[in-house]
Amino acid sequence: MKKSMVTLLAALSMVSLLAAGCANKEAVKKEEAVVPPAAVEKVEPAKPAEEAKPAEKAAEAQPVQEAVTPAATPQAEQPAAAENNFETVYFDFDKSDLRQDARDVLSKNAELILKSFPNAKIQIAGNCDERGSAEYNLALGERRAKSAQKYLITLGVKAENLSTISYGKEKPAVLGHDEAAWAKNRRDDFVVIK
Amino acid sequence: MKLLLFVLLLLVFPGVLYAQSGYVEVTASGNRQLKLAVASPHSLDASPDPGSAKLVSDIITFDLNMSGVVLAESRLLLSPPVNLSLADADFALWQSAGFDLLVLSEYSLKGGQLTIEYRLYDVTTHKLITAKRFLGAAKDLRRFSHSFADEILRALTGVKGVFTTRIAYVSAQTGNKEIYIMDWDGHNPLPLTRNGSINLNPDFSPDGRQIIFTSYKRGNPDVFRRSLSHTAEVAISTRKGLNITPCWSPDGNKIALALSKDGDAEIYTLNKDGSHPTRLTINPALDLYPTWSPDGTQIAFVSDRLGNPQIFVMNSDGSNVRRLTTTGNYNVNPRWSPNGNRIAYSRMTSGGFNIFTIAPDGSADTQLTFEGNNENPSWSADNRLICFSSKRSSGNGIYVMRADGSGQTKVSHGKETDFQPAWSTH
Repeated sequence: MKKSMVTLLAALSMVSLLAAGCANKEAVKKEEAVVPPAAVEKVEPAKPAEEAKPAEKAAEAQPVQEAVTPAATPQAEQPAAAENNFETVYFDFDKSDLRQDARDVLSKNAELILKSFPNAKIQIAGNCDERGSAEYNLALGERRAKSAQKYLITLGVKAENLSTISYGKEKPAVLGHDEAAWAKNRRDDFVVIK
Repeated sequence: MKLLLFVLLLLVFPGVLYAQSGYVEVTASGNRQLKLAVASPHSLDASPDPGSAKLVSDIITFDLNMSGVVLAESRLLLSPPVNLSLADADFALWQSAGFDLLVLSEYSLKGGQLTIEYRLYDVTTHKLITAKRFLGAAKDLRRFSHSFADEILRALTGVKGVFTTRIAYVSAQTGNKEIYIMDWDGHNPLPLTRNGSINLNPDFSPDGRQIIFTSYKRGNPDVFRRSLSHTAEVAISTRKGLNITPCWSPDGNKIALALSKDGDAEIYTLNKDGSHPTRLTINPALDLYPTWSPDGTQIAFVSDRLGNPQIFVMNSDGSNVRRLTTTGNYNVNPRWSPNGNRIAYSRMTSGGFNIFTIAPDGSADTQLTFEGNNENPSWSADNRLICFSSKRSSGNGIYVMRADGSGQTKVSHGKETDFQPAWSTH
């Protein structure tokens, strides 16, 4: 029993390592804007000295070259733009367990994190609708944020990059006093904070 | 002499008894309520300000009516005013107008300097029951009048009123949730925080000089303390996760609150400086909103350990946990009465939240509000009144009612965005 657990864990971590590896490469190809400035600096001076190296390096140099321009733009804009790429996770009334649609959304968010923000600090903000008591909702919102956090970790996102906060019912996404509004407010938002 | 007075009082109003020397015990149940006239104050100035006179009688009348101890009425003087110390009032006129008690006062307001004297008379016996004289500035008129209303209750019941106390609350009138403080009757609202963040759940220190509250001003729900006289805010608990629903112990030495540093929301006590956290609940459920019994030996709190939020009571070391509320499936916001006899709380019913009180042994569960959404009850120090936040057709804001649910009155004057009131003990 114990042994199979260990094997499972090992397999899981292999998968997540692979996922992280792939994510890095793909990120360079598709999303030039998110190449951290540090990476640009490192590769550039290396270029002239590496002429004898395999063709693989030359191919990689191309996107990096393009990346110079976006990397020069103010850094603050990057998280702001990135925030909108995460999808919001929704919950049932007085519940913090993840519905199937929530799991699907979290899978997409995990993919996005692994591909585009492998080292970013991401905050999950849990929220509630206006109906419960303000104080109980602070605790419930935290539970919702932690549900998402746990699930993202099982999908390979590094635990140390995820933090949670609860706003209870203090930060509704939409104003309104009907089920349509309430459903939109029972949610987890995802924000890149660093 | 005293015996004679006693007999006379019994003959005249059977509801009045001298329970012990120094005050009149009012036991109105089954009898008509005592009627008290608050006569317009007599101004000693050449050109009196009618506004000030009206203010005095309105304040005393409002305070005493809210107490429920007497039925008070503002009245013009029935006979031409005379200097208080020179002649007695015309008691026969007041008696035939149906009053048992009479408040007379006279004041002088010169160059911003206020002198005011109040007197409470027994109309039937013509006796002066109590009197007070105050010297101060013009702005003290409200406070002095509240103070004499406190004294009237002390003289009539032995327990002074709470009309000089204040209520801390949260208001979103600026668009942000900031902590404010106001007189118990809603006057003199004053912002305490102005940090533009989210500030919640203020609670007073037992001496009434400081408040603790939760603020997101550093990006996490942390607990801060500040005195009412200084703007400096001291961080009390900035532990990872939730630092919420702080509640000062009755002796002022500890703070009970909910922290989630060890996973989910659990009840802890801290020293008043925030040090030495002691965990009281160990449970995968949410535990929050602690409130102390007045002797500090027990704590009531909210927990969803049985699936939905209910109120539980435990010893203040975390032992002997038992369920308090057994009716309704969403009970929150417990607040223990200062005399220990009742716990007020809020229940979500099909129509919204309503305030209830229950005995600490779970008996005599009583509903007090029946309209709209009513939350966060907080007791007055004399156990007579409960303030709470309400959203109802007659207006949203902070309301005050008697402990039996009667006399529900909106006291906050803001933009209907005031909530989470906490009543000071002093």
